[in-house]
Amino acid sequence: MKIALLGNPGAGKSLIFNQLTGLGIEVNRYPGSSVCLECGNVCYKKEKIEIVDLPGIYSLDGGSEEEILVRKFLEQLGADVIVAILDATKLERSLYLFLQVAEFSPKIIAVLNMIDEAEKQGLIIDVDTLKTRLGVPVLLTAASEGRDIDRILPLALGSSRVVSLEVPYDHHIEAALKSLEKTMGTPRYKNLLALQGTGEDPMLLDSAGAVAHEIELRHRMSVRQIIATNRHNLSRKIAASSVSKGDQKKTYDLDSLLTRIFPGVPILCAILFFLLLSVFVIGSWMQEIIVQTFTTYIIVPFVALELSPLLERIGFSVLVAIEAGLGIAFPFIFTFYIGLSLIEDTGYMTRAAFLADRAMHRLGLHGEAIIPMVIGFGCTVPAVLSLRILKTRREKTIAAFLITLVPCSARTVVIAGIVAAFVGIAWAFSIYLIVFVLIIITAVLLSRITPGEQFGMIVEMSVLRRPQARLVLAKSWLRIKEFLFIAMPLLIITSIALGLFQYFGLTDAFEQLVAPITVTLLGLPEYAATALLFGIFRKELAFETLAVLAGTADLGSVMTAAQLYTFAIVTVLFIPCISTIAVLYRQLGARIAILISVYSVFLGLLIGAIINMLIK
Amino acid sequence: MQPSLREDYLEAIQHFMMTTGHSPLPHDIAIVFGKPEREIRADLEGLKESGDITFNGDEAINLTLTGKSVGECVIKKHETLQLFLSEILGMDSSTASSEACNLEHSVSDETVDRLGNYLKKTRPLGNIINDRQTPAVCGYTGMTCDESCTPPSLLDFNEGDELVVRCILGQSCAKRLLDLGVVPGEKVKIRRKHGKDALVLQVKGCDVALSPEIAAAVSVERYK
Repeated sequence: MKIALLGNPGAGKSLIFNQLTGLGIEVNRYPGSSVCLECGNVCYKKEKIEIVDLPGIYSLDGGSEEEILVRKFLEQLGADVIVAILDATKLERSLYLFLQVAEFSPKIIAVLNMIDEAEKQGLIIDVDTLKTRLGVPVLLTAASEGRDIDRILPLALGSSRVVSLEVPYDHHIEAALKSLEKTMGTPRYKNLLALQGTGEDPMLLDSAGAVAHEIELRHRMSVRQIIATNRHNLSRKIAASSVSKGDQKKTYDLDSLLTRIFPGVPILCAILFFLLLSVFVIGSWMQEIIVQTFTTYIIVPFVALELSPLLERIGFSVLVAIEAGLGIAFPFIFTFYIGLSLIEDTGYMTRAAFLADRAMHRLGLHGEAIIPMVIGFGCTVPAVLSLRILKTRREKTIAAFLITLVPCSARTVVIAGIVAAFVGIAWAFSIYLIVFVLIIITAVLLSRITPGEQFGMIVEMSVLRRPQARLVLAKSWLRIKEFLFIAMPLLIITSIALGLFQYFGLTDAFEQLVAPITVTLLGLPEYAATALLFGIFRKELAFETLAVLAGTADLGSVMTAAQLYTFAIVTVLFIPCISTIAVLYRQLGARIAILISVYSVFLGLLIGAIINMLIK
Repeated sequence: MQPSLREDYLEAIQHFMMTTGHSPLPHDIAIVFGKPEREIRADLEGLKESGDITFNGDEAINLTLTGKSVGECVIKKHETLQLFLSEILGMDSSTASSEACNLEHSVSDETVDRLGNYLKKTRPLGNIINDRQTPAVCGYTGMTCDESCTPPSLLDFNEGDELVVRCILGQSCAKRLLDLGVVPGEKVKIRRKHGKDALVLQVKGCDVALSPEIAAAVSVERYK
């Protein structure tokens, strides 16, 4: 038995899926967050039942990745029963998708989720009327409270039904559907898609296209608009007959603060600043504890084992990589994720996107791009992964370049550890300033030269809600797991490679080779080249390696302030870390990954050289 | 019942459904015609007998297939004639409208089709949207519209305004808007707007944030 959950973004599918399967999957509050299929198995009455969580979509006949995926899934009858999750507070809109799903004639049950919210809004839902109108069983649930979730499976297995309800389309459309069915022998849902120009059968598309053109001329309206209007009209009728409005408790509309320029923009800045500050403070404190404990209890005893030099080198590299992973992942990235999940779960992110739209337009992007950028302050890897919420390749490419420039928490450590500690706090902020100026220049340049279409933001504002600690923690935990899964193997491999590199005495040769760049161009000591090289696999390792190579933790005594400043800024800009390059490759292909890497190397050396020249 | 009266009724019902998206009540029709509701009800009964309309349980009037096609046909004739009279012959638009009301009952389908083709060749389609008093038929693929005749879009209205969507221009961004319920005839409200920048639109009880270039593609008029 296979059951699939289907519904609008934010209707609570993922939450219901979690409660049904006990599996943890991320619940994201911005639309379009789960693009791949999540599956989980449960045992019910000694039968194995597979549950699939389909990505949240608004419609079935669009061309987005998610919509195509769900459409294919329905066409191939990917599941025995579809559990249509409807948002009780937005029944009319949810029904629009329901009516489309019904056209594929699978067996369905309807689950009206968020009934707790609906009650708060004073909506009274007449389940019996809805049941009759839809022709399928209807269940009221409240996933955030876990109310009646356990009744979904029995109902889905016992009384799911094929919906007999048909949308009465405009008679020209109906006539076209009938004639296509007769001449081509294709089912109604395929013909409907074909009339809107979607499908794979060229013959069908051709004949449908001709009819569609005819209809458009008659109606002076696109077939898509006619079909959408017909569907919305039926949804409205059904919703009107089954929902009535009772007394609503007057609640204060927070949006009157959050989405106005004042105080909305100051609030946005304050939230971001507070997020970064707390990550930094908590992160540094936790990192010290973790690194110290790890060194004392694992690395020191390991060195005391006195293995053969090669073995010790390899073992040491592995341990250092693990220490590095834990030292950055838990203190900084995990803390950042908790903060981020907290903000996301309140539904604030969509407000941020709205407020940022204007500024983002200047950068050749639109409001939604603020989400990857903010995530980039924590770690570039998940920021690149979240690029999928952007629609066109142009936007993704521009945003990818900018994200890799945003100072992630590892780079914050470098800035704090080198510049703030040895040069001065004001200088540390000047690095941020330089980076932001570079981001803006890069964006303006890229928006001119990147091919492709600019596409604006159409984003549904999530309802503001109080976040729940359990969900926030679970989500942060999943994200950190994803990060470790991607980053850890790479960290260990690179660490071993660099360890061997040192073991065979290649460091000196390398330093000699790049000396013209490090010494002449950047004015740094020779060993800084090795430190920069180490920075490729974990940014703040550049800082630690520098300390090791300089032979003292008091960097101020061996390098001048100018050298430290140059070193820090080059590290911050220079080449994205190896994990970032890996996800860039996965998300955008080799060409963009290489371009970004080359660009950042160029930028790092250029700015480093300019600063060196200015100081001289 | 006179054929012209029948056509007037069907036209009015169809027009009502296209503007508001739901079926009219006899009361609504009475307002349109400015006649007492009793008289209207009698006429509607006649239409029901001739198979043009049906009544829903709640008295809402639904058009049958024949009724609907007659209604649509008359609307089209009216619009084409009115456009021809005002745009090509230069009559003022209210006279053109009342003249069209008389002519629409006698003109043949072919004449209207040919007139329509003629208008399409001579005028960009955008003008039709701008000049027409009646909403809801516009904006299909490939339609171009020069700057001077751009119909009012969401960007031309202010925060708090209640509006009705007339049409969505351009295809690329239209799909998601349609899915979210921004369809011709839908009542929407601007919840938040910062100058010419992004705005928040309330549609079907949901708030949707739109970039200005998207908002510019949604042609609207004030809700009355």
